[in-house]
Amino acid sequence: MAQVPLAIVSHKRQVCSLYKRALRNLEAWYDRRDVYRYRAVQMRARFDENKNKDVAEGMRLLASGQKELFETKHFQPRNFANSPGGCAFEREVILPDWVLDYWHPLEKAQYPEYFAKREQRKKEYVAWWEKQYGKPDPSDVGHH
Amino acid sequence: MSFTQVARSCGRFAAALNTVRIAKTVVQTQSRMMHRIAMPAIGTQLTQDSRCRWQTQSLRSYSAKPPLSLKLINERVLLVLKLYDKIDPSKLNVNSHFINDLGLDSLDHVEVIMAMEDEFGFEIPDSDAEKLLKPADIIKYVADKEDVYE
Repeated sequence: MAQVPLAIVSHKRQVCSLYKRALRNLEAWYDRRDVYRYRAVQMRARFDENKNKDVAEGMRLLASGQKELFETKHFQPRNFANSPGGCAFEREVILPDWVLDYWHPLEKAQYPEYFAKREQRKKEYVAWWEKQYGKPDPSDVGHH
Repeated sequence: MSFTQVARSCGRFAAALNTVRIAKTVVQTQSRMMHRIAMPAIGTQLTQDSRCRWQTQSLRSYSAKPPLSLKLINERVLLVLKLYDKIDPSKLNVNSHFINDLGLDSLDHVEVIMAMEDEFGFEIPDSDAEKLLKPADIIKYVADKEDVYE
């Protein structure tokens, strides 16, 4: 959800985003770190050169930069392992904590110490909640 | 010589070759695959030495990260920032503002965020990145992302 644009993005932020994507694109093309750094410094110089242009010129440059990025896009960009497109994306499923409450009693009996402590913690949490927010209204408890 | 005889002798020859090859691979794998040292190879004789090797730990732990703590995240974030050439390490502090105190511009800030992505191995979207203006914010963000509370 963090990626869904909910407001009009400012020019500054669009330039920053373009810079970041351009660097990641260079990183995908040049896998040797020293070669990549050389290209990255060149890219930075191209951005710095147009730092003090007026708004209309800036918008034109931004559009041409985005077009250039689109045309030089790497065919197989590198992604982080756990990000969308990465090799480990959504591979490891972490179960929510409440699943443990639905274990069979015989299964729970295999870990008596842990579950005793868990029950104790639940009681402490209820006590903390009531201290913080007060007793729940009886009309709110239950389904209807 | 009949056809069956030829076939049989060829088979025997191949079998002999195979045993030689197996013996060779056993010797080779032992020297080549460092992470397999903990497991005694099949062909080796069990000496007292190799019996102990069962108890040694394997050299690699696959797909596991070392557990993070807030202190460790703090150290790693500050180290990355210290190594960045546009930041003066003497001015650097957990609460120093990148743009106001350290004198970076917005493109430098993008580079800092990219360095943090590379350091911790996950992507930071632009909408979150523009709020991370202090090392303390980055530490908190990484800790929330990795579920580190202490």
